[in-house]
Amino acid sequence: MTTEAQYWHADPALLARYIAGALDAVTGASVEQHLSRCESCRRSVGPLLEPGLVDRTWAGIRDAVERPPLPHSLRLARRCGLPEPTAVLLAGAASLRSAWLVGAFLSLSFATLAAYVSGGTALAPFLLIAPLAPVLGVAAAYGPRQDPLEALVATAPYGRTRLILLRTLAVLVSVLPVTALLGLAVPGPPWLAAAWLGPALSLVPVLLALAGFVGPRAAATVVLLGWSSVVVASTRGGLDPAWPVEAGQQGVYLALAVAACAVIAIRLRIDRQRGVAL
Amino acid sequence: MGTIPTVTDAALVAALADGETGALRELYERHGAWLHARLLRRCNDREVVVEVVQDTFVALWKDARRFRHDGEVGAWLWGIAFRRMVSRLRSRRDVVLLPEWDVVTAPQRVLPSAEDQVLLGVEYGDLAPALRRLSPEFRSVVQAVVLDGLTTKEAGRLLGVRENTVKTRLHRAKAQLRAALTEPQEGWR
Amino acid sequence: MNVTRNTVELTGVGKRYGRKHALVDVDLTFDQGVTGLLGPNGAGKTTLLRIVATSIAADTGEVRLLGRDPHRAYADVTAVRRELGYLPQELGYPSDMTAFGFVEYVAVLKEWNDRERRTQEVRRVLDLVDLSDQATVRVGRLSGGQRRRVGLAQALLADPLLVVLDEPTTGLDPAQRADLRRTLSTLGHRSTVLLSTHQTEDVAALCERVVVLAGGTVRFDGAVTDMVATAAGRVWLADEPGDDALVSWQTGTGRHHVVGGTPPAGADPAEPTLEDAYLLMLGPDARRLRAPA
Repeated sequence: MTTEAQYWHADPALLARYIAGALDAVTGASVEQHLSRCESCRRSVGPLLEPGLVDRTWAGIRDAVERPPLPHSLRLARRCGLPEPTAVLLAGAASLRSAWLVGAFLSLSFATLAAYVSGGTALAPFLLIAPLAPVLGVAAAYGPRQDPLEALVATAPYGRTRLILLRTLAVLVSVLPVTALLGLAVPGPPWLAAAWLGPALSLVPVLLALAGFVGPRAAATVVLLGWSSVVVASTRGGLDPAWPVEAGQQGVYLALAVAACAVIAIRLRIDRQRGVAL
Repeated sequence: MGTIPTVTDAALVAALADGETGALRELYERHGAWLHARLLRRCNDREVVVEVVQDTFVALWKDARRFRHDGEVGAWLWGIAFRRMVSRLRSRRDVVLLPEWDVVTAPQRVLPSAEDQVLLGVEYGDLAPALRRLSPEFRSVVQAVVLDGLTTKEAGRLLGVRENTVKTRLHRAKAQLRAALTEPQEGWR
Repeated sequence: MNVTRNTVELTGVGKRYGRKHALVDVDLTFDQGVTGLLGPNGAGKTTLLRIVATSIAADTGEVRLLGRDPHRAYADVTAVRRELGYLPQELGYPSDMTAFGFVEYVAVLKEWNDRERRTQEVRRVLDLVDLSDQATVRVGRLSGGQRRRVGLAQALLADPLLVVLDEPTTGLDPAQRADLRRTLSTLGHRSTVLLSTHQTEDVAALCERVVVLAGGTVRFDGAVTDMVATAAGRVWLADEPGDDALVSWQTGTGRHHVVGGTPPAGADPAEPTLEDAYLLMLGPDARRLRAPA
């Protein structure tokens, strides 16, 4: 639509009365009708309004438009008290994206269903997936293969280590409660519902420690293969379905976790390349 | 009369769709002020008006692609803004959503000033005095539907009446206006 | 934190990658002002900048940044990083981030925790690189030069005392380079700015001081004007290319620009440029750098 040349314009006094509300509806409507077609009269309205009002509105528009909205999960976390800068950092993390969470939830649900339907004999899927979900989430939280922001993260005061730990925590917080709830539906002795936590909480430090040497992808592959073989071996070997999480094994996982944390701590201390330890 | 071609509103909206805030700023410079004024005339709560204008431009930003280039950007913006305000204030009784038809203090009601005559003549022609003489029950539907651009359904919701009632009143209002136009004009026309 | 006279002190710094020596026994100090790092590909410019930016550690020698040893303790390196702005040579951008979102993310990494102040600062640096209107455009849809400017913007956050820019002029047109010059020279009043490039025009336009690196060693360290002076009397404009010239090419006027060697008959001495000095300094390698016009 082109603006037609207007041969008549509202004079400032009329506009002032319009804005002051001193015009009746019909006259006011005429002014409005005119304004909707006349660019220059529209521009004359600005100076007649309360000073600062239009600018104040613009500040709000600019804020809403410039800053991308946080993903839903983070908005929820903000309501629960997550500090704002932390939310901004997490918004850049891949593993919190809904797709990953939904995928993890779905696979866990299927595994739980399998265990439930089989009356407690087919525990392998659940025991396989439940500890691996957080591990894979943490590996994914490292970011794409060549994290585009790698160089900047490494040289920022916040610290790469701290960022990775933050993301790890975020993954654990988002995945563990869901898994725990699903674990309650798995038939078997009551301690089974929480027993998967043992390997889960020890495989994560193992992943972090290994990732410091060979990178997150290779580390994740190692952990994946290692845990899978434990679970598969237990089913093949005619052992109790819950063998991988029985008391004896839990002791091993605890020892592994302690060793992994020790490795991480030592590395942090001796590595000259500060902040690249993880 | 300028010889330099200025960017049209439609072109700005297209630039918006590409994500340029400069275009949004320019559109706001052109339309922000009068939207405030027109909304303020319907609602004297300034905070509400500020939020409505903000929401309108943010919606414009998000929906820029959907603008069909056959309409006026200004009218489109008013449509978004007024509907937003109506829905926001639905529950509040203390707020005016339709301007006063009779302004007690202004003497123009009886004797329109010279410039008002010109204005009315330009915009509404012969219709203006007929509009003035509309019966009260028709005024609000005419204001809502004809002047503010709501649909009959939306006007019904705003006025708290059924859509059919709005349609009937509108029909009768138009009949009244037509009748008024065929009568001989009094006074200054 | 007290700032010593020399912002950056490198003493006997060396770095090796397997068999290859990227840097050999480098002694340099940097202060306030804008310094250009010039050298062919593989000269060690990026390695040097990465050491100064605390991205990697030196193998040998001593490094002191802002009076601190970044290899000593985590607290020291963090203190240095608080005053550091770094634009790496290869910077990737998550394609679905907007320019504003990207710079804001880095601002949070730089511990700008107050949202209001952070927003103002992000807007300020985007304005410095003339990207205010593109703040909301996704980085994936920006041009190469615009992306480089986004990277530059994040390096300027908080007006750091130490600014390290690896090839900041890639993809910039002359007008944008002029803008960059203005920004950097203002910055240089208070901060130490180190930038690398292999274009002599960039150094001539942006820097007061120049360091020439080749093969991991420092070939020249001094003022730009001093470097140009080293080429005095060794550059001519002639009708034919010199036989033993280091390098020569034909200019738009038809005459030959001859650098080094003995002047051919009928040659007029020409005003040397930084490029001439650079070519002379690098000697036989110069032929590789200056492709026939």
